[in-house]
Amino acid sequence: MSSLDPHISRQLREDLAPAVLRSVVQTFERDLGRLAQEMLAAARAGDASGYQRAAHSIAGAASAVGAVALEREARLAMDPAQPEPPHILLPRLMREAQAAIAALKQMLG
Amino acid sequence: MRARVLLVEDTPTEAEIAKAHLAAFGHECRHAATVAEALRLAAEWPCDAVLIDLQLPDGTGFELMRALRAARHAAVLIVITVNASLDTAVEAMRGGAFDFIAKPYSRARLRVTLDNALETRRLRAELEEARAQLGRGSFFGFVGASPAMRAVYRTIESVAASKASVFITGESGTGKELAADAIHRASPRARGPFVALNCAAIPKDLLESEIFGHVRGAFTGATESRAGAAKQADGGTLFLDEIGEMPMEMQVKLLRFLQLGTFTPVGGTRTERVDVRIIAATNRDIRAEVEAGRFREDLFYRLYVVPLEMPPLRERGEDALLLARHFLELFSREEGKDFRDFDEAAAAAIAADPWPGNVRQLQNVIRNVVVLHEGPLVTRAMLPARLFQPPPREAQAREAPPPAPGQVEPLAVVEKKAILAALEHTGQDVPRAAALLDVNPSTIYRKLAAWKKAG
Ligand SMILES: Nc1ncnc2c1ncn2[C@@H]1O[C@H](COP(=O)(O)OP(=O)(O)OP(=O)(O)O)[C@@H](O)[C@H]1O
Ligand SMILES: [Mg+2]
Repeated sequence: MSSLDPHISRQLREDLAPAVLRSVVQTFERDLGRLAQEMLAAARAGDASGYQRAAHSIAGAASAVGAVALEREARLAMDPAQPEPPHILLPRLMREAQAAIAALKQMLG
Repeated sequence: MRARVLLVEDTPTEAEIAKAHLAAFGHECRHAATVAEALRLAAEWPCDAVLIDLQLPDGTGFELMRALRAARHAAVLIVITVNASLDTAVEAMRGGAFDFIAKPYSRARLRVTLDNALETRRLRAELEEARAQLGRGSFFGFVGASPAMRAVYRTIESVAASKASVFITGESGTGKELAADAIHRASPRARGPFVALNCAAIPKDLLESEIFGHVRGAFTGATESRAGAAKQADGGTLFLDEIGEMPMEMQVKLLRFLQLGTFTPVGGTRTERVDVRIIAATNRDIRAEVEAGRFREDLFYRLYVVPLEMPPLRERGEDALLLARHFLELFSREEGKDFRDFDEAAAAAIAADPWPGNVRQLQNVIRNVVVLHEGPLVTRAMLPARLFQPPPREAQAREAPPPAPGQVEPLAVVEKKAILAALEHTGQDVPRAAALLDVNPSTIYRKLAAWKKAG
């Protein structure tokens, strides 16, 4: 299963100039680094709403660049019913984040 | 249209993409990442639209919208939401959003939504302006504050938003075409085309092709395919003037078009679909035409959804003077004269006249005065002595007999004869005479002035 939605990838390449797209991917990478830290910290502190807020931001950012697999994980984490505890979900989410960034960079060529 | 857009978005990735789109549209953009920052920016930077992400660090987009509305902010609000659930959408609209966009969105989607919103905002502002003008006695192109005209403005305002057909009746020169134009401009189709077609001015056998177009080779002379008025008006308004003159065969075809929304160009095989709003007008007694069997009843009911009756000028009280002053100012400016007002006797004559030719006649009279005389006051003597006399209805065109062979007249004489004949033919209606001769009305006025000077 690819980590990017091909339709959205194509749309981004059509809509944005290469330099702009490159900069968006860098911003996305920075966002993920910061937001993943926030989720981790919130999980450790038992701060459920902080955890969900950070997950929501990741979902938004991921959706904007078409990182569908990452977005799905983030949405699970946003769910107040928390079907999976952070120590199960977070590592998976991090892996998807890495995969999304790798795929985006590959897309940039 | 270059607009000022305030983007409220806390996730940098999304903000960066949105900013790139807005810059590409040529809009000026400022960015806030929190509710507080957005409110501060909105207060000091008069923006046209606010793009709002719903989840923000210090509150929700709904709270921001409430605060903006409480501050009576004029910007149009658009919500950007991840979960485009119906509930969120409904709540956003209730909260005063004009529209919402689901993430992720394409540049094209953002553009359409934003353009729509900005256009609606512009229209709303224009309508408010028009409403404000009501008190001052004008509305879109109309001058007039009489109760009869206020009722007209109200009807126009209330029907503008819908696609319902409007049927305008009224004596010649009462402003039927102006009303059609106002309805179009007050409607959401304002940005679309307004196409006017005078059914009386087009030869019978060309009318179908004028309305529905034709394909190449449809008839002799049809060397190219041509779009008709219905196609040209797609997305806008089609104004069928003098509909009472439409021949029966054409009435059938128009009815079918109104029923189906589709038509076939003359000589064509494929039907075409267009989205037009129809406005029809006539100065005939259309009900009598229906009763006499000259106008199809079914077509009449299709067109006569919203009736709009333009009152004759003699029923508009003070409006005659208001209009006279308006035209005096307008034509003085155009002609470089310095007329200021009417003297008492002139004003009294204008107020008392029944104006059988209505606003158009008044317009002609004032233009005549301005061209032939000097200001600053219009006196009774400058007005036609027999204002009360209605213009001859069917003045016979007394064409000058063709000059005998060998007997050639100077051009200036031919010109004078042609102008006088056209004036006589039209009952001294200068703009119509000008149209017949294919010249500008002011050309005729200037000639008249020159002849008068020459004695
Ligand atoms: N209330 C008004 N205020 C200002 N100008 C007006 C007003 N009513 C009409 N006019 C002007 O008078 C002229 C005649 O109006 P219009 O052509 O709309 O009349 P009409 O009813 O369509 O006449 P007809 O039946 O002869 O076609 C136009 O130049 C129009 O702009
Ligand atoms: Mg007309």
